[in-house]
Amino acid sequence: MIQDRLRTLVTQNPMLIEITRFRRRYFSYSSGNSMNSVVLSLVLICYAGLVLIVAQNRDSINPISIVIFETGLLTLFAPMMLYGAIAGERERRSWDLLLAAPITKSQIVAGKFLGAAGALVIAVAMFQLPILIAAIGSRETNWWFLLVASLDSLTFLLLVCALTIFFSARVKRGLMALGAVLAILATGLIVFPTFVEVAGGSSSTVTNPTLFFHPFYVMAQLMRTIGPGEDAGNAISTLQWGWPQSFVYFALTITLLAWASNTLSFAENEVKFMPQGDKHA
Amino acid sequence: MLEVKGLRKEYGGLTAVQGISFTLKPGDIFGFIGSNGAGKTTTIRMISTLLEPTAGTAVLNGADIRRNPMEVRRMLGYMPDFFGLYDDVKVWEYLDFFAAIYQVPPKKRPEVIDSVLELTNLTVKKQAFVQSLSRGMQQRLCLARCLVHDPALLLLDEPASGLDPRARAELKELIAELGRMGKIVIVSSHILPELADFCNTVGIIERGELLAFGPVSQIVKDIQPHRVFSIHMLDHLDSASEHAKTLPGVSDATVAGEHELRVEFVGDLDDQADLLARLIQLGYRVTSFREDSADLEDVFLKLTTGAVN
Repeated sequence: MIQDRLRTLVTQNPMLIEITRFRRRYFSYSSGNSMNSVVLSLVLICYAGLVLIVAQNRDSINPISIVIFETGLLTLFAPMMLYGAIAGERERRSWDLLLAAPITKSQIVAGKFLGAAGALVIAVAMFQLPILIAAIGSRETNWWFLLVASLDSLTFLLLVCALTIFFSARVKRGLMALGAVLAILATGLIVFPTFVEVAGGSSSTVTNPTLFFHPFYVMAQLMRTIGPGEDAGNAISTLQWGWPQSFVYFALTITLLAWASNTLSFAENEVKFMPQGDKHA
Repeated sequence: MLEVKGLRKEYGGLTAVQGISFTLKPGDIFGFIGSNGAGKTTTIRMISTLLEPTAGTAVLNGADIRRNPMEVRRMLGYMPDFFGLYDDVKVWEYLDFFAAIYQVPPKKRPEVIDSVLELTNLTVKKQAFVQSLSRGMQQRLCLARCLVHDPALLLLDEPASGLDPRARAELKELIAELGRMGKIVIVSSHILPELADFCNTVGIIERGELLAFGPVSQIVKDIQPHRVFSIHMLDHLDSASEHAKTLPGVSDATVAGEHELRVEFVGDLDDQADLLARLIQLGYRVTSFREDSADLEDVFLKLTTGAVN
């Protein structure tokens, strides 16, 4: 049964065409869209600059700081990439074609998510080169902590993707989904932690759930223990900083995707025709 | 076989479709005629399982749209009144995507894609990006998409809107070919001459009610049981009218203009020939004699009031 589910949602999901679409839109010059080509060229130039800077300062750059930089950048990139995933289908009116076809809502959501995840993995993979250069350049690199930080980053980015798909599934307009996701991210990552910090001072941050699940705070905790100039003796446990957060991000990702597929609200409110209890529903 | 049984749709207090029933068999090309807002698209969306009927149902080859929507979806091709195409994909990828959705086996897909591209005359555009196609080509691509799984029923909602005359003519020929292939085709439109050309059955809908259903010739006959001749002559129309009323097969004759006499006729071909011969024999100087046959547009205008929901 699990194998069947995996086959319909992953290996034989027709919606995996989204991977091709994301790749072509963001990582290819062949789409024919000149704006995309210009942006891609700029990104590649910036990337080459980043690699050069890291290579020149490899003995003084903490590799986890690059992971943090990567996470920040892609946290903005993911909603931009996905806000129209489902709302855009409605706006483009290709949604009806999917609804009139023998494909399930789960397949649609899974396909959109995997397409975005594929694009994200390519972006993350590109960042591995500067991270590797910095990690090799630094004699005090704790590879285990670096791995955990990278895992935190990846699972958090997947959560952002799922959050964007969730909102895209719930609203009519793609821009509404983008606004909602950016507002939540700004509140959760900047406004609320700042408020908590100001209100509660510096005490008991570990028990503060806002900071405990704050990806940048978690990665900062991991960074404190490794790399040049850091206090290696002040080691912390990845059982406290790293693994729990990754697990929670991953669980939230699955929950949001399931929620999105089960509560897809349609552009036209009458378009929700699938009998209760239908095995394909 | 498609059986539509008492299909009804209500939105709050508004009844969009009032219990429509009809039956279509393979090879039928059904023209669904109605003004904007008459209920054509709502009916088509219910049959395509996009809308849940308030009452009634439709059964396609034994599969009920309410009980087995997935089964119905596998057997129908739905082409809405908009393209709904994806950017960033090539023509063949777009078709491959829908072939995969409709569970066409991977090994068969290249062959299927080639054949629908050939049918829709898009073979040369196989490697082109969808967004680079002209409007007519995009329309044909949409039709090709509907055909990848060899559906039994095609639902085409305003397929010719926005097309130039050549593209429209090509589309008509294509739809006629699909009918010859044994598919049930439902075409909604409010461009009547277009439908009359290739539909063998039509239905006229207004305010959600099916006012007429059947072959075009039958509907025309129903609405205009007698034939009408328009006879142009140079003079003496009043006396010609009186004479005409006495001739076999003529039920009525009226002067319709300075030189036109309109004759309502129920006779046969012999009577028709005699009518012209007798008028000339009586010395009326006839300049033209033709039958004023009603067409779909006349029927539509006579049956409908233009009211919408």
